[in-house]
Amino acid sequence: MEDILWHRWMHNAEKFPERDAIVHWCADGPSKRWQWRALLEDAQRVGNYLRCQGVRPGEVCALIVRHNPNFYPLYMGVVAAGALPAVLAYPNARLHPDKFIEGLVGMSYRSGLDWILTEASLEPVVGRLTTGANSTVKGVLLPFQSDWGESNPILPIGLKSSDPCLLQHSSGTTGLQKAVVLSHEAVLGHVDAYAEALSLSPDERVVSWLPLYHDMGMIAAFQMPLALGVTLVQLDPFQWVTAPVLLLHAISEEEGTITWLPNFAFNLLADRVHEEELEGVRLDTMRLFVNCSEPVRSESHRRFLERFKHLGVRSKHLSASYAMAETTFAATQTTPGRAPLTVVVDRNSLLKGCVAPAVERPVRECVSSGKPIRGCELKVVDEVGVQLADGQVGQIVIRSQWMFTEYRNNEEDTKLALRQGWYFSGDYGFTLENEWFVVGRKKDIIVVAGKNLFPEDIEDAVNGVPGVLPGRVVAFGVDNDQVGTEEVCVAAETEVQGEMERKALQLAVQKAGMRIDITISHVYLVSPRWLIKSSAGKPSRRANRQRILAGESNKG
Amino acid sequence: MISDRLKRTILSELDLDEFDIRDEMLAGEVPGWDSLSHARIISAVETEYGTRFKTLELLKLRNVGDLQALVDHRTTK
Repeated sequence: MEDILWHRWMHNAEKFPERDAIVHWCADGPSKRWQWRALLEDAQRVGNYLRCQGVRPGEVCALIVRHNPNFYPLYMGVVAAGALPAVLAYPNARLHPDKFIEGLVGMSYRSGLDWILTEASLEPVVGRLTTGANSTVKGVLLPFQSDWGESNPILPIGLKSSDPCLLQHSSGTTGLQKAVVLSHEAVLGHVDAYAEALSLSPDERVVSWLPLYHDMGMIAAFQMPLALGVTLVQLDPFQWVTAPVLLLHAISEEEGTITWLPNFAFNLLADRVHEEELEGVRLDTMRLFVNCSEPVRSESHRRFLERFKHLGVRSKHLSASYAMAETTFAATQTTPGRAPLTVVVDRNSLLKGCVAPAVERPVRECVSSGKPIRGCELKVVDEVGVQLADGQVGQIVIRSQWMFTEYRNNEEDTKLALRQGWYFSGDYGFTLENEWFVVGRKKDIIVVAGKNLFPEDIEDAVNGVPGVLPGRVVAFGVDNDQVGTEEVCVAAETEVQGEMERKALQLAVQKAGMRIDITISHVYLVSPRWLIKSSAGKPSRRANRQRILAGESNKG
Repeated sequence: MISDRLKRTILSELDLDEFDIRDEMLAGEVPGWDSLSHARIISAVETEYGTRFKTLELLKLRNVGDLQALVDHRTTK
């Protein structure tokens, strides 16, 4: 029998029909507990419903829905119908509907979306997609408002493990998102190997607030437990950001053992949870808090540990991983049961590309992301691709058994990223005795709270603001140690004078960011010809970032 | 109506000099108010009014007007 997602799920349903597959956790009411047999029966009903609606095997179904107990049979039903699910972010209230549609059109063109499965409230907006000239979308379906019919057996007939099973977007904000198509064998092979690296046992309980459009949420906290029959407790991401303590409540109530968090979440939990909200909460069932999707900061780990040690958190429960959608998910993982290795190195030497012991300030604490997981090979290379030795800083390149083969419909970016079987990550790092440390980025991508943002998206949005000189804008990220992530900064040239007028312009720049759902934390308005140009004649993000951080501009 | 005290507390936390905050406004419509800053803003409001909101109270907030009503409810007890 082919090793495909559906067969793994059926196997689990036969083996543990009454076991909780997914607990749809609710803070303000009873949780919905999906047992394996009931979940698969409903997934089959959805699969039949989708086929009746005209969905064909191999077509891409974009799922745009909020936290809903019926999301899980819907997702699995798409797989049962032999189609490819692609979870997309539900639009934030501040995202302008035109920008949302613009992004979807770009995405449908690049990713090849065939169907949109969404909620009734979004239909008036996404309905426009089916008539757009550049759109590939065949129809919009409202599965939560539809009768799924009977639970007749449905099989993804003729599927092979090498066939695609899902579509994941790797980064970006609007039409520039890069789509990765993963096969059944890539997802299942990867989660098996990653589970080994985590020493994951079948009786564990994954607890997650992560959105499922993100690879960490989708692969680590959704596909892995489903494939291995491990119970998943899924929280509402919107509720979690409103009340971070909910994760700790869910862990305590459901006796969770493992969770994944971007670095900023360690800070948020340590700094923003009040003691009185922790009455009766126990975290001593936890085995791993995995820090991933952002550079790992030792200070964040220290604060988290200090804050929650009275509830049972120990340093051995802290963990780190280096992961990306292009390798399905994890490339490295620290050893479970041991705190990640931290080295204190000389900051200036690191900037020059080599790791040296810290003898005097400034120093930098680097946290290891662990060792390569089975099936993954990594090396550090210089500018021309020559492998570097231990302790030398260069670009991290990865080769994996579960590597993507291309960015869908995007030959140009595929050629840049994939060379001779190696994925050029754009991340800078070094090794010390087979421990992998990620210390920076070659690419200009800004990582805010685990979400990758392209500066081009932000610059395009700001370029249209009246008063900003067209093409004279740069966007870049700056670390905020307090928050534990990066903040978005924009520098824009303008001829606008007068304090009131300039304040109004700064606000207009921030609002331009809001329309594409990006918070611009700092706006620097500078005079014409202030921005340094690169050799290509465009304003240089790196050079202008350095100039601004050196204090050569008045902060807006 | 959003009180000047609540408005000042929010704007100060967001490092904004002036912005017209109205009852029906969603948090995401105020520049800088996002998922990262939300917990910080709520903490600032709690500190300003010497109170502590319950998790379920926070989850029920639909807009800034609801936050004002919650503050009023707490401070008039």
